[in-house]
Amino acid sequence: MFPIPIERRSRAVQITYQSLIPLALIMWLLPLIAVALFSIRPLADFTSGNYWGVPSSFELFTNYSRVFFDSDMPRYMLNSVLITVPTVIGAVALSCMTGFALGIYRFRGNLLIFLMFIAGNFVPFQILMVPVRDLTVSAGLYDTKLGLVLFHIAFQTGFCTLFMRNFIRALPYALIEAARVEGVAEWRIFWFVVLPLMKPAIAALAVLIFTFIWNDYFWAIVLTQGPNAQPVTAGITAFNSQFIAQYHLMSAGSIVAAIPPVAMFFLMQRHFIAGLTLGAVK
Amino acid sequence: MSGVILESVDKSFGDAEVIHGVDLQVEDGEFCVFVGPSGCGKSTLLRMIAGLEDVTGGKIFIGGQDVTRTDPADRGIAMVFQTYALYPHMSVEENMGFGLRMNGVPKDEIAVKVREAAEILRLTELLKRKPKALSGGQRQRVAIGRAIVRGPGVFLFDEPLSNLDAELRVEMRVEISRLHQELGATMIYVTHDQVEAMTLADKIVVLRQGEIEQVGKPMQLYRDPGNAFVGGFIGSPSMNFLEGRIDNGNLHIPALADLVVPLQATAPAGIAGVTVGLRPQNLELDRTDSQLTVELSEMLGGVRYDYLKTSTGERLVVESRDADDADEGGSVGVSFDHSAIQLFHPDSGVRIRLSD
Ligand SMILES: Nc1ncnc2c1ncn2[C@@H]1O[C@H](COP(=O)(O)OP(=O)(O)OP(=O)(O)O)[C@@H](O)[C@H]1O
Ligand SMILES: [Mg+2]
Repeated sequence: MFPIPIERRSRAVQITYQSLIPLALIMWLLPLIAVALFSIRPLADFTSGNYWGVPSSFELFTNYSRVFFDSDMPRYMLNSVLITVPTVIGAVALSCMTGFALGIYRFRGNLLIFLMFIAGNFVPFQILMVPVRDLTVSAGLYDTKLGLVLFHIAFQTGFCTLFMRNFIRALPYALIEAARVEGVAEWRIFWFVVLPLMKPAIAALAVLIFTFIWNDYFWAIVLTQGPNAQPVTAGITAFNSQFIAQYHLMSAGSIVAAIPPVAMFFLMQRHFIAGLTLGAVK
Repeated sequence: MSGVILESVDKSFGDAEVIHGVDLQVEDGEFCVFVGPSGCGKSTLLRMIAGLEDVTGGKIFIGGQDVTRTDPADRGIAMVFQTYALYPHMSVEENMGFGLRMNGVPKDEIAVKVREAAEILRLTELLKRKPKALSGGQRQRVAIGRAIVRGPGVFLFDEPLSNLDAELRVEMRVEISRLHQELGATMIYVTHDQVEAMTLADKIVVLRQGEIEQVGKPMQLYRDPGNAFVGGFIGSPSMNFLEGRIDNGNLHIPALADLVVPLQATAPAGIAGVTVGLRPQNLELDRTDSQLTVELSEMLGGVRYDYLKTSTGERLVVESRDADDADEGGSVGVSFDHSAIQLFHPDSGVRIRLSD
């Protein structure tokens, strides 16, 4: 078996391994631990420079309740949901269809179109900042959730198409042919044969896109401003007011904002991992 | 009426021409088997009949209708794929009824047809299972069941048994044969297993490199092959081929101690060197002689195959039914009825028929 299981290594190796693991884990999680710790401190700790010591008072409930009841956080969270969920649905639905067309049909220009979908992913999105903003402004979609959703869908569909097309290519083509011989219409083949078999891919992609979009900060601040459209990633900076940075509230807000993607991941974990390794083992 | 007629059918993939002008007539209700070595175009030809592959040239008729450009669904055919192609997310029942359901057949009618097919194929107990919970033979039966429920005029099979183990293959072979008798439909069956071809076929089509080598009844091809390729392909073990020479109306076979066989009739003029074909079944070991070395002796229970090497370095297989081994490494001879000899042209492989 490779690698050799750690239980069969020498004692020295085992000890090094066992002590390095927690160390690496702490290093890895340090930023998260810091944020979690900050979120239960009073603001006074930050002004007095007590970042890492024992909190001068334990403010878990006050901080979190202020995030929920005294700030715009709930609105920002709702905005995030209203932006992320339609984007996930839109991008996944579109890419199922584009993936089916590119994966199943051998038409002239198939590869060219596919390459264009892929090429879109290689454009650094920062250089699109100004034109995209101008576009949304002239379309009357600046500072609206709809504008952000449409834009995200357009941008994510390239990657999603790559993912879906490759997944569909790996399905046995004989299934499609069998259905064709049986006189099943093409769109029914898509709906009744291909779509059910794509469930793992859909789950994986949904989690992935959900996380991407939920965590998006760049486009959120480029295309929106203010609590009526901004998602939580951008909204959190509202705690940085002109005169004071409320680190404790920002930390609490960050923790709250991180929960949905994590929850999504755990809910879909089984499908997600199955989807990512699909095709690797067969 | 659902015979199948191919008229000088061609197929190319880009520049590669795969099927060259195939003409073929399959009668209504006939069991026709395509055999040939790997890559000869059997599957391609079958897929063209199914409509899954475009025809480059020529015409295809099914049941008297020109279907050359017709969609697969409208050809009145059903196809069983080598990989079975069962829908993994549907139960056996749903798999078999899917085509009908998609074409708007009422539910109770589907249920009746599925039940009938399941009974014919002994699948009744398995109707609720998913394909992944079935054995290879059961999956194969479901795939056939899916073809049956649609009641097609023509069944197309592409190596349906090649994924099964030997025992199951024999069982399914019998099953398919029974099915053909029960349904009376036209069946076209692709295989590279010549035993399947011999046992199932009313008509065998031997293909090589996209061309038909010979068409005929199984025993006709076995007894009277038109060329060395068909002679070697049909029959197991394969026909033995030895070098020979015609001289003064006599056939000389150097490999068998320069055996001289007087020919009953005259060979066509101008032929000197020939290929001599001898079936292993027509040869008999002659233990009193010793011109051949026994390289290997295989006992298969009822029959034994002895692999012999001649002094000229050619090889020879002999089939015998007696149980006592020829000792490996020993020396033997062979004897045979001279009328069993078949002669072929050494270059083209075409059969040389002796005119009286
Ligand atoms: N889509 C394709 N594009 C190009 N060439 C192809 C294609 N499909 C088949 N061929 C070629 O056509 C020839 C015949 O293929 P086919 O699959 O019909 O062979 P076969 O007789 O069924 O062989 P086997 O017994 O291995 O299944 C082969 O040389 C193959 O390489
Ligand atoms: Mg084949």
